[in-house]
Amino acid sequence: MSDLHTAVIDICDASLDPVAALAFVSDPRFGGIDMFIGKVREHNLGRVVTGVSYDLFEPLALNTFQEIGERARRKVGGPMKVYIAHAKGDLRIGDIAVIVAAGTPHRDEAFKACRMAIEAVKHEAPIWKQEHYTDGDSAWSEGCSLCEEHREAEQTAAKRGAAHEHGHDHDH
Amino acid sequence: MKVRITLFGALRDADPHGFVELDAPESCTIGTLRDLLREHLREHAPQISAGLVQRSAFASEDEILHNHRTLPENGQLAILPPVSGG
Repeated sequence: MSDLHTAVIDICDASLDPVAALAFVSDPRFGGIDMFIGKVREHNLGRVVTGVSYDLFEPLALNTFQEIGERARRKVGGPMKVYIAHAKGDLRIGDIAVIVAAGTPHRDEAFKACRMAIEAVKHEAPIWKQEHYTDGDSAWSEGCSLCEEHREAEQTAAKRGAAHEHGHDHDH
Repeated sequence: MKVRITLFGALRDADPHGFVELDAPESCTIGTLRDLLREHLREHAPQISAGLVQRSAFASEDEILHNHRTLPENGQLAILPPVSGG
């Protein structure tokens, strides 16, 4: 059995399941488990949100999750299990959008792997969020460019101490 | 060659089919294709900003394809606007 589980879950078929994530990363060798759960919240940038739609480029998203899991393994260097799942489709307030979990022998590696993996999912995976508002309007969130020239520009801006580390205005 | 570019996120508004088809020279680079797509959208979907196309990345199902890469042989690509998962 693999020690890396990646999934894109269509919200029409099933909800994301923290219990399944916990079960996957549990192991008799592991005393530390860290899990990040991202949920849809009712406010963003001062507007009342009624729901969120996630669009994904599924094959590349799964490839990216796999690559992120392998990178986390290299960073930690020891035994580890990682679970990465993201929702697709129309979510309501309180629905789970993403779960990242890591199980390792001790807590420090679990925290590090989980943090690294969720940040990478947010910044690198081909996923787009469209927010719907109470007034019937909707908008795609500002995001992180995957285009190399723009990534370099964003990183340079971050090094110069720009107010926001990616040089654009989103809320993570 | 005929190239099919699948649209995602905010770029879905560029075409109700969810993709754009373009004629591109054989073995042209992604950078050239980006210019062709920008021209196509300027004509057919003027509501899409040229800046959004510039900030977007092209990709196959396996990897991001940067500007110096050549088109995949199967002519199937995706264009990925800035991402906002999680």
